[in-house]
Amino acid sequence: MGLVPTPSIARTHVMNEPAIELRGLQHRYDTDLVLRGVDLRIEHGEVFGFLGHNGAGKTTAMNILTTLITPTAGTAAVCGYDVVTERSEVTRRIGYLPADVRMYGHMSALENLEFLAKLSGLPDARAAAMEALEFLGCADLAKRRVGTFSTGMRQRIGIAQAIVHRPHVLLLDEPTSGLDPMGVRQLRNTITQLNAELGMTVFMNTHLLSEVSKVCTTIGVLNHGELIYNDSIENTTLRFPDESSLEDIYVRVGGPTP
Amino acid sequence: MTATSTSGRAVIGTVSAQQALTFRRQRVRLIGVATLIMVTAMAGILGWSSHHTIVRVFDQAVQLQAAAGNPAPANPFLLKPSLSLLSNMVVYIPLIGALIALMVGHLAMAEDQTNGMGRLIFTRPIARTQYALGKILSAVRLLATALAGCWALSLVALLIVNRTLNGPDLARLTGFYALSWAYLVVFALIGMLTALLIRRRSLALLSAIAVWIVVTFVLPQFVSGLRPTQSLNPLSEPAGLSQGFFRITHLAQPISLVEGYKDAASSILRTTPATTAAETALSVLPTLIAAATLALLVLWRIQRHDYSRSASDE
Repeated sequence: MGLVPTPSIARTHVMNEPAIELRGLQHRYDTDLVLRGVDLRIEHGEVFGFLGHNGAGKTTAMNILTTLITPTAGTAAVCGYDVVTERSEVTRRIGYLPADVRMYGHMSALENLEFLAKLSGLPDARAAAMEALEFLGCADLAKRRVGTFSTGMRQRIGIAQAIVHRPHVLLLDEPTSGLDPMGVRQLRNTITQLNAELGMTVFMNTHLLSEVSKVCTTIGVLNHGELIYNDSIENTTLRFPDESSLEDIYVRVGGPTP
Repeated sequence: MTATSTSGRAVIGTVSAQQALTFRRQRVRLIGVATLIMVTAMAGILGWSSHHTIVRVFDQAVQLQAAAGNPAPANPFLLKPSLSLLSNMVVYIPLIGALIALMVGHLAMAEDQTNGMGRLIFTRPIARTQYALGKILSAVRLLATALAGCWALSLVALLIVNRTLNGPDLARLTGFYALSWAYLVVFALIGMLTALLIRRRSLALLSAIAVWIVVTFVLPQFVSGLRPTQSLNPLSEPAGLSQGFFRITHLAQPISLVEGYKDAASSILRTTPATTAAETALSVLPTLIAAATLALLVLWRIQRHDYSRSASDE
């Protein structure tokens, strides 16, 4: 299939900088401080699992990385570009899958993807949309209206829209929510495929620790807005040899049971 | 297939085309155009019917006078301006047209908040101003399409009833619909602005309707409705404008959009005593100022809108 590895948009600059870098990142909703000076560095090619209980600040961090909100203090950069001052460069390099992906229900999957691909500035948006659908093995959904889709189908189309412009960094917010076991397995394979074949860096907010251990190369644990743990899966299992699962490790490092 | 820099015009065009497709698929365009065309047809029929009745009654009176051997004057109603056939449109546009425009503006701006598409759109390299301009363009085009249909139907009705239509009247007809379009754009922008200011969809639409009620019914009561002499005889000079409370209500006149629209529209259609071009232009001015101000407010508000959260549609 025709999807090629992530294209070179100022590739040299991109590869010299970390895929994602957060420095002293803070965010406040009114009086509620939800991110308390998070420092994090994620290298290219990693699949990063961002763990934390509900309300820990994971989605807020993702909203900052997607440029949807502006941090109260600190900085966040994607491929070396600041999310506030270089928004346009950042949005060219990210693909985003929200937790509850919904699109125009009256439009077909292909029409939705074509519209978003055009906004991404792709010269042949329709071909790019079709390629993304074929890559994910859901070309059969192209002509169907999104309003008729199941949760699993919507999730696949959601991933297609996130990769249609071949981003360097894929931001997935609770990608397994609402999926059945088959859907979860399919998603896991897709993430692995996107990382291995297209070289995309994946940043994933999740609750499913079993999936994290199968897919992620590094993890970070956020607790009440503070990053309390950050290491590779390999090192994590070495550091906690007595714990039988990632869930046990998660509880050990301070996060409450999800 | 590398992402290239997207030109502002291309983004505006893409957003506008997508919204036009949404209007078409959700039958908003059909409902909007059909309603305004039906209203135009109704105005034409009512205008023709009342004119025809008056002329016939006068002709019968002339026949009676002639039978009694009395001289009868020429029928003055035949001297009425040909465009007076559409005089009811001056009432229908602020009542029905403005409500349709509110709905169009609200739908254009609110849907992306409710269905979560705003989050996907604003994680693309586009500016919020471009997005807002695309939405405005789609609403403006829809209203223009509807009014173009009304213009064509009015033209046909006038040709059927009057047999002929001269150049100046054609220009006046076009001018009337251009003014009506500007007036409806104001309400489409009010629909957009309330959708951006109020997150709950139902409340946003209700607020837009509240604004429409104030503009259409409340403000006129503060202006001409408070001048008893003018209410009794609209041709006489307003009395006591320089005294007490009427000084305040007189100040409110420029912001009474609907009165400005009615004055200008009636003047263009020549259904009221002749006014100067400057007076007509002055009546049009509040509508144009309101449209420009509201467009700027929409562009300002969208910069601050939080698209990371979905709006509630309850």
